[in-house]
Amino acid sequence: MAIPIIMPKFGQMTEQSSIVEWRKREGDAVAKGDILFTVETDKSVMDVESFEEGTLLKIVVAPGMNVPVQSIVAFLGQPGEAIPEGMASAPAPAVPTAAPARESGGAGLQAAQHARQRAPAMPVAAPAPVAPAAFKISPRAAALARECVIDSSRITGTGPEGRIIEKDVKACLKAKGYDRLRISPAARALAAREKLDILAIRGTGDSGRIGVADVQRALAEKPRPMGRMRQIIAQRLTQSVLTAPHFFVTVETDLTALVELRARLKAAGAPYTITDFISLAVVRTLQEFPDVNSATDGTTLRWNSHVHLGLAVSLEQGLVVPVVRNADELTLAELNARSKELAEKARNGKLGPDDMTGGTFTISNMGMLDVENFTAIINPGESAILAVSSTLQKPVVRDGQVVVRSILKMTLSADHRLIDGAMAARFINAVKQKLEDIELWKLLTS
Amino acid sequence: METFDVVVIGAGPGGYPAAIRAAQLGASVAIVEKEQLGGTCLNWGCIPTKTLIAAADMLVRIQHAAAFGITVQGVSADYAAMIGHKDKVVAQLRDGIKQLLAANGIKQFASVASFQDRNTIALGDGTRLGAGKVIIATGSTSAMPGFLPRHERVVESRGFLAINSLPRTLLVLGGGFIGCELACMAASLGARVTIVELLDDILLLLDPDVRREVRGRMEKNLGIRVLAGKPLEQIAAASSGVRGHFGDEVLEADLLLCAVGRKPVTDGLNLENAGLKTNERGFIEADEYCRTRVPTLFAIGDVTGKIQLAHYATAQGIAAAENAVRQKPRRHDTIVPNVLFTSPEVGVVGLSEDDAKTQNRAVKTGKFRFAGLGKGLASGETTGFVKWIADAETDQLLGAAAVGPHATELIAEATTAIRAELTARELGRTIHAHPTFGEAWMEAAHVVHGECVHVPPKRRNF
Repeated sequence: MAIPIIMPKFGQMTEQSSIVEWRKREGDAVAKGDILFTVETDKSVMDVESFEEGTLLKIVVAPGMNVPVQSIVAFLGQPGEAIPEGMASAPAPAVPTAAPARESGGAGLQAAQHARQRAPAMPVAAPAPVAPAAFKISPRAAALARECVIDSSRITGTGPEGRIIEKDVKACLKAKGYDRLRISPAARALAAREKLDILAIRGTGDSGRIGVADVQRALAEKPRPMGRMRQIIAQRLTQSVLTAPHFFVTVETDLTALVELRARLKAAGAPYTITDFISLAVVRTLQEFPDVNSATDGTTLRWNSHVHLGLAVSLEQGLVVPVVRNADELTLAELNARSKELAEKARNGKLGPDDMTGGTFTISNMGMLDVENFTAIINPGESAILAVSSTLQKPVVRDGQVVVRSILKMTLSADHRLIDGAMAARFINAVKQKLEDIELWKLLTS
Repeated sequence: METFDVVVIGAGPGGYPAAIRAAQLGASVAIVEKEQLGGTCLNWGCIPTKTLIAAADMLVRIQHAAAFGITVQGVSADYAAMIGHKDKVVAQLRDGIKQLLAANGIKQFASVASFQDRNTIALGDGTRLGAGKVIIATGSTSAMPGFLPRHERVVESRGFLAINSLPRTLLVLGGGFIGCELACMAASLGARVTIVELLDDILLLLDPDVRREVRGRMEKNLGIRVLAGKPLEQIAAASSGVRGHFGDEVLEADLLLCAVGRKPVTDGLNLENAGLKTNERGFIEADEYCRTRVPTLFAIGDVTGKIQLAHYATAQGIAAAENAVRQKPRRHDTIVPNVLFTSPEVGVVGLSEDDAKTQNRAVKTGKFRFAGLGKGLASGETTGFVKWIADAETDQLLGAAAVGPHATELIAEATTAIRAELTARELGRTIHAHPTFGEAWMEAAHVVHGECVHVPPKRRNF
């Protein structure tokens, strides 16, 4: 019996998800642990592994459809095995919420109940309405454009209602000097396969001849969609910059004593990092400045009774911000363990949406990247973010003498709708004072 | 101090064309050569070996003339006379270069050269030449590993070509193209030849099917013993002969030919005075414009350690000269045919099937054997095949191999086709004269699409 594959529920809050991309095709063999598809929720993008093995018999949900969690998205089984009636010939349904539920039991039934509770989901990425292309260009004209490997969409039509006719294509070829174009046969074949317009490719071969390398360059330059994760980052950060008026306050912190203490602790086997000290200093300061731990949409203020500390982690494909929940209730040791655990999950792509939501303040640490100073963009839903730069050996004046100290620059980005300059200055100086108060850390680590 | 726009160091197949091209473009040019005009290629490489191989081929053809109904009696080969003929050919070509250089107004200096600074070249007699740009074309020399005894019975290719008697038995160390070419030549003239190769097979730069064809013929037709996969150890030389161990077997021969590779010549150039360093392998690095890290210095040919072939050096040399004299830089070409004058001959160009596999590139191939050609049978030359390697999706011809009669000539058509980025379909539609060996390319191009008239279909559908 074919095994239904279910859209998993990622985290408590997730109601719907959409498949970004199928990593297996119908007919592909699937082993346990193989990645079947990539899912996008409103928070993140994740790979879904198979818990079974067999052959992917049928894909029910096409990429781009938003479906309730627990819906059937595909069937796995032995090659040639029948799948539940009604599914075999059905194309991927435009609104696939109710369809799978009717005939199949188990998880499908859950999906059905789910579907009754919620209004049927609409596809999130339905293809944009397409103009009746067939009418805009005559078959003869289209064939000629295809044969010449040119883009017909930019040709002005002179036929009825602006339809492009063969004459228009010929005029375009003549106007653009198509007969003088020199292109290698292989370059032409490649351009045709990739549906490029050879009139738009610049040739760099002998006497301007277009070669395969030129076509490959044009292909590489063709705009293509960013990864889903990158798109989400783009959307969220743009939203933040456009809605929250950012301003920035920088302080210099003398970490010399703390760096020495940390070295001593490390030699004695303690796990603490400078980042942990900064996190704890921030958590404690946020408790003194509840406004910095709050958020606004411009009309209302949302006050948070706990500190949920976001820690930005850079990955190869983008940036994720795992959140240490209730950081105000954690000891330094617990904070260290939890941060380490989340960073590890982030690097292994194992973060769930619940690990990445609900933050009240974020620290972005570029200390390991050798930077003097930088500013960060506030995470949507929060009102400030602290940018932590590298600890550098610097000459500074102490008691009228120039001495070398370990100096760290930190910059607070604050949402001016909620936080004023004076408050930001007091906040970041309170963090600084804690970090420079070596007796505090001796106490906390003893 | 006499000053030139361009000074070329080394007058091999890279250096002398570079000098002539620079002169054609109006530059004042000097060329410095410490040995002979023409370099390794003309004096101790391509030309002398090909002269001897031509003689060996002629002998083999005469020996097989009976199949055509021609009886020849009393055939004998005089190796010393062949060497004499070779020397004459070399001298004539060398003289040709001398006259060409003179005709282009290039000043020739027979001397070693070293950098005093990046714009000053010192010659052996203390003369100094001022140089706007310098093209380094000092080439390479045979590597003689330290484990080999220094003895007159142990030679590299240059020493081998100077001996005017053919050894009765020859041990060749190294199964690359130099070792195999000389092995085939000596075996054709009657020497008993054994090749020892450390790697798993000889001629590893070739695809397995091409390699199999060459090795099979070398073993079967010429009686060459090929021993691969182990080193030659405990090598000793005495006046009676050389001996060495291959695993448990003891090999003995009159002469040991070492052909294990070539190393760059940079000794005495004092590159550091010009601010230039060699890389960890001793080569001078140059980019596709033949530029080194020092803006006025260019390097070409074997000393750059890219592809050690005369025609590649020439292509680099001409590009280097243009880039040294003109403002607008030009890359040298990178589609380089490689020819092996073994028996049978081999020519390869572009992507090999092995390359496609390592690059994970989808390709189609088409192979056609010379035995299927009228011309092959008519000439009694039916060994081998030609092969196309084409892009699976665009049909672009990416690589080619020919093994068999005239393979070294035939590869020219493939090289032109690949550089012009032709597709297999177009090459197949090109009318090839009948009956010729070149038809094999056309047939093989049709094989790529399963549409060859002269090959039975793979599966019958009726």
